[in-house]
This record gives sequence, C-alpha cells and structure tokens, in this order.
Amino acid sequence: MPETAKILPFPTRRTSTEVSSAEAHRIARQYLSTPEENRSVEFFEETFSNCDVLFSVCQILRDMIESDPAASVTEASVLYRWSTNPTSEVGLFDEREYMLGETALIAAKGSRLLGKFTDAERWLDRSEAAFRHTVNPAPSLAGIAFERLALRFASGRFDETLELLPSLKSSFSKLGMTVEHFKAQFLEAVTLRALGRVDEHFALLRGLEEAPGVRDCPSLHGQVLVHIGNHEAVLGQFEAAARTYEKALPIVMRGNRPAALCELKWSIGNAYRGQGSLRRAIESYRVARNDYQTLGFRAFVAQLSLVIAEILLSLGKDREAEWEILSALPAIEEEKMVPEGFAAVALLRESVRHRKTDPAALRELRERLEASK
Amino acid sequence: METDNPVTRVQENPFERDVRAIFQDTLGLIHIALVSHYGLDEGEAMELEKDLYIWFLRFCMRPGNSSPKDSRPFLLVACCQFAREYQKYVIGAGVRSSNDKLRKLLDREPADVARDFSRSLELLNYRHLDA
Repeated sequence: MPETAKILPFPTRRTSTEVSSAEAHRIARQYLSTPEENRSVEFFEETFSNCDVLFSVCQILRDMIESDPAASVTEASVLYRWSTNPTSEVGLFDEREYMLGETALIAAKGSRLLGKFTDAERWLDRSEAAFRHTVNPAPSLAGIAFERLALRFASGRFDETLELLPSLKSSFSKLGMTVEHFKAQFLEAVTLRALGRVDEHFALLRGLEEAPGVRDCPSLHGQVLVHIGNHEAVLGQFEAAARTYEKALPIVMRGNRPAALCELKWSIGNAYRGQGSLRRAIESYRVARNDYQTLGFRAFVAQLSLVIAEILLSLGKDREAEWEILSALPAIEEEKMVPEGFAAVALLRESVRHRKTDPAALRELRERLEASK
Repeated sequence: METDNPVTRVQENPFERDVRAIFQDTLGLIHIALVSHYGLDEGEAMELEKDLYIWFLRFCMRPGNSSPKDSRPFLLVACCQFAREYQKYVIGAGVRSSNDKLRKLLDREPADVARDFSRSLELLNYRHLDA
C-alpha cells in the first residue's frame, strides 16, 4: 500500500474477513447461543469486528423471526445499537447502513409478530432511513414496503392494504423477487377475505396453491393450504377442510414455522366450532393460544382469548368469559389492534365492568380482529 | 501485482466462485476506472480492488439481490463511489493535489459515471458474444 494510504485512516480491508462462510456461520451460532450475561466485551467486540460473522448473525436472526420473535428483536436491537456507534467498525463502504437497515427490519418484523405495532413502525422508519444510503436499495425498500402493508393489514386497515398491493407486486416482479411476489399475493388473498370478497380470496389461494414457486416454499405453501382449509370449513365442507388440513400438516412441519402450526390448530378449532363441537373447539383454541403465548405472539393470544370468550358466553359460562375478555383487552388497546375510537372496545369493557357482557360488541371486536389474522 | 486474484478466500463455495468469476471479468474495467479516470496509483487501485471484491461478495449475498452477473452494474457504482470517496479524502487531507479533469469527475455522481462505464461493459459483452 502506498505511504499516503497507510498514514490516512481511510477504511481499509481487514484480515478478519478471511473466514469461510461456514466458519462465519459457526461463530455466529456460537455468539447467539452464548447467554447475554456470559458475553464479555472482548467476546462481543471480537465477534462483531468480523463483518462476515455479522452478516451470518443477521441471516440466523431472519430465519428465527417466526419461531422466536422476542429473541430476534432483542438480538437485532443489540446489533443495531452497536452499528449506530461511530466507533464501531462495520465492514466496508455502505455496509454500516446495510447492517442498520437489516437489523431494524428484523426487529420490525419481530415486533409486528409480537403485536407491538408501534415499535414495528418505528423500526421500519429506522430501516428505511438506513437502506436509502446503500447501493441498490430497491430490493430492501420493497421488503420494507411489504412489511408496512403487513402492518397495515394487522391493524385492520384493509382498504389501504389492498390499494397499495398492486404497486408492491409490480416492484417485486420487476426486481425478480419471486417468493416475495407470492407472499404479496397471499397478503392480497387474506385482505380480500377480510373485506368480504371471499370468491376472489379463494380463487387467489387456489392459484397460489398450484404455483410451482409456492410449492417450493413450504412455509408459504403450508399457510396457503391452511387458509384453503379455513375457507372450506366456513362453507361447511368439513370433510374437505379436514383433508386439506391433513395435507397441510407435513408441509407446515417442513416449513419450520411454529406460528403456522399454531394457525393450523386455530383453524382446526374453527372447523370444530363450525360443526357445533364447542368444547373440542375450545380445547383446540386453547392449545393454539398456549403455543402463541410461548412464541410471544401477543396479538394472536388476545384474539384467541376473545374467540374462546364468545364460545364460553354461548355456553352460559359468563364469569369465565369475562376473564378471557379482561385478559385480552390490554393488548388490544396498547398495541392499537383496532383503529382509534372503535366503539366495540369501549362497549365491551363497560359491559364486562357491569358483569353483563355485550355479546354483540364481543362479536364485532372478534370479527374485526380475526379479519386481520 | 495481484490483480488476477485480488482476494482468495478460504474454502470457496460454488456461489463464491461465481462471484469471483464475475469480479475477475470486470476487473479490467474497474482498474481503468480507478487508475485512468479517478487518478489512483497502481498500489492504491490494487488495495481498493481487494476491498471491492470483499464488498461485492457480501453484496451478492444480500437478500433480494439478483445473480452476481446481474449485480455487476452495482459493482461499478460501488467502484466509482469508493474511488470518489478515497480521492476526496486524499485531496482534502492535502496529500494530493487535484486538477480540472479530476475535479469535474469528482463532482459527478458516481452512479452517472458508473452508467458510462456500464455502457463500456455492454460493449465488452457484445464483443465477447461476437467473438
């Protein structure tokens, strides 16, 4: 290297990057499996000083968002904070911005799954601010746009979701992001259902089920099948629904998405409910809720509590129903799971306070939340 | 001079081999951009090329990015940005003086400069196909 470059603190190549991708992955796993209290400053610095390892940590966190969103958010936040520190050496060129964008996006997805929508929005803003400064930001920004729509959907803003989806699908197509394009189509399908456009919803799901690209992606394929089964159950075609769920189970298992398995259990509960087997439905719902609780999916825990409350009310178990409702309301309000001023929440709270649960308010709130499942 | 193989990584996998092949294929153009256009000397260019390779390998692994071949235009953008930042730094520190030609180049957006280079790349591909 010429003398001029040697004496200037211009970012230079570090020898620590010379590890194989397998080795980087191993170090990343070792880091993540080390309890936080055992991570010394030296261990922390040594791990993060290697950009290949940093990227591997991100890859692992991306893969574990659905199975452990709470841990993903915690670990991504640590990486994000470290990357914002100007004294931290983060790779070359635009890699600091890339790391900031990527860790913030992971934290946003995890926060959404945990039902922390306000946090998710803030993380998305951070991610976008960082990705804008990277080379070729288009794929990352399209990923953020998808996440924003998923958040809108989860907040019950279905019209807005549907309005903005075509532009996003077009971006994914242009960028050759096939799997993401299918995911956007799936989001479109569930939004159509939420808006009561069930025929279009089902047609889109059927199309997705047959797409080879979807079949190659077990996590998405399993989800599509579960929703097809749901539709069949709603139509009263319980045998068809059972067959579809049976077909979905091994695919969902292969997809390694515990959340999809919870969704399947929830759907089975719906099918029992549709058949009038209320006690079995409650059992399935409770199993699904416990699993969601373990995963930390606060929004779905709240939703299922309302579903269970509704059935308990219909069985004359008013006190048990009140407990279920009271356990769900804080999360619904704190995380703004329904638009501001949604009357059913206040009506429900008031009726429970007077120990005369309003079934209409309960149903309205449950339906509103379930639409964004 | 190591320009034939700027960085050899341990235990290269097939994807890394693809990235390296694309990088090697573009290296001539990168070297011209760094030395002839941005005025870096040979040693500086070689060091930046090594950094560029490491960066490009990780860039190709980013989710949503297309194949290494399709990512080549971004390699040129990065090359021009690298070179521009480096030269601005060196000139700003008073270590090297500038001239009109370099000043004009440093004033231009690296993406625009890279686009011009991409055209050269297309021409190069055309010649390859023609051969």
